Amino acid sequence: VRWDSKWSVICLLTWHSKTLSMKIVTFMALLLKLKFIFVHVRVCNLLTFWTYFHRTFPLALDIGCGKSHIAEHLHKELVEQLFLTDISEKSLRNTRESEIPTHCVMADEEFLPFKENTFDLVSVSLCCHYNPSPFPKINQVLKPDGVFIGAMVGGETLYELRCSLQLAELEREGGFSPHVSPYTAVTDLGNLLGQAGFSMLTVDIDEIQVHYPGILEVMSDLQGMGESNCAWNRKSMLHRDTILAAAAIYQEMYGSENGSVPATFEILYMIGWKPHDSQAKPAKRGSANVSFGDLSKIGQPSTKDKS
Amino acid sequence: MSGTNVWTRSRERMRRFPELFAQCSGEAAVYGKCVTATTTGRQELRKDLCVKEFNALKTCFVTAAKKGVK
Repeated sequence: VRWDSKWSVICLLTWHSKTLSMKIVTFMALLLKLKFIFVHVRVCNLLTFWTYFHRTFPLALDIGCGKSHIAEHLHKELVEQLFLTDISEKSLRNTRESEIPTHCVMADEEFLPFKENTFDLVSVSLCCHYNPSPFPKINQVLKPDGVFIGAMVGGETLYELRCSLQLAELEREGGFSPHVSPYTAVTDLGNLLGQAGFSMLTVDIDEIQVHYPGILEVMSDLQGMGESNCAWNRKSMLHRDTILAAAAIYQEMYGSENGSVPATFEILYMIGWKPHDSQAKPAKRGSANVSFGDLSKIGQPSTKDKS
Repeated sequence: MSGTNVWTRSRERMRRFPELFAQCSGEAAVYGKCVTATTTGRQELRKDLCVKEFNALKTCFVTAAKKGVK
C-alpha cells in the first residue's frame, strides 16, 4: 500500500461554492496533449470549513499531505505550526511555500509517530481510503477539544469503471477479480467516527463527474494520480480482449452523445471533535421547563396586551 | 531505461488504442448493447454469451491496427 511518488504533478482545482455535482471536462486538455492533467481535489472545500472556526490552532497535523497544498493556503491566524506527514519522501521534499513554519515527517498514516494529546487540529485529505480505519489513531493524537477535518474518497467513486470491468471480465473470462477498491459508504462514516471517539460529527458528500475520451484515459489518469491497484491479491494483468470489451461496455452504458465517458468521484467530507467539557452536551432528561402543549399558544396574542 | 524494450513497445501500441477503438464504434455499440441487455433482462451474463459480437469487434480492431501500421 504505497503511493508512487513519481506522479506528483497535480493540478489543483479551486472553487468556493459547494455544488452537489460538478462536471469538469478534461476532454479539451487531453486533446491538446497536455500530459498528466490530474483532477486532484485536495484543499479547497476543506479550507472553507476551516474559515468557520473562530479559533487559532497552535499545532496542526496534515496527514498524507502530498505536496502540501493545504499548507500553501493556510494563514497565520488559523494555524501557528504545521506538521506535514506523508509516506512518500519525494513529495515531502517538494512541498510548496507556506507562510507558516512547517515540519515534514515521513510516516505511514497507520503508524503515526506522535504522542497522545499532541495536536489541536488534524486534517486528512484524500489519502485514507486504503486504510480500514485511521480514526482511532487520529483521535488519540488529538488534544481534548481538538478537531479533525477530513476529505476522503468514498461511496460510489468510479462505479462506472468498476461495473464495466466486471461485466467485461465476466463475459470474456468467466469470472472477475477486484479492480476498484471498495470504498467507505457515507452511512458508515458516522459510525466509524463515533466508534473512534469523536463527537459533534458533520459528514457531507460531494459528487464530481469528470469526462474522459475513453476508458484508457480514465485508467492512465488514475495511474498518474498514484491510484493504481495496490491490493495484495490483485491480478497482475488485464487481457487485451477484456480491455477492448470493457471499453465497448463503458461507452455503451455510460457514454454521452459527444463520445466522452464520465468517471464519478464522490468525496466525503467529515468534521469530528475530541470530547471536552466545554462542548455543548445534550440536556438531561427531565430538565425541560416548557411543555410541547404550549406550542399551540405561540402566535396567539395574549389578552393582556389588548388595551 | 535506454532504447526500446518490450515495455516501451507495448506502451506505444496501447497509445494507439483510442484511435483504433474510435474506428470500430459501430461494432463496439453492438457488443455493448448485447452485454448491457443482460443487466436489465432475465438472462444472466455467462462467459462467451456475446462471443459473436465480440469477434466482430475484434476483427474490426485488428484490421484497423494492421492498416495503421502499413
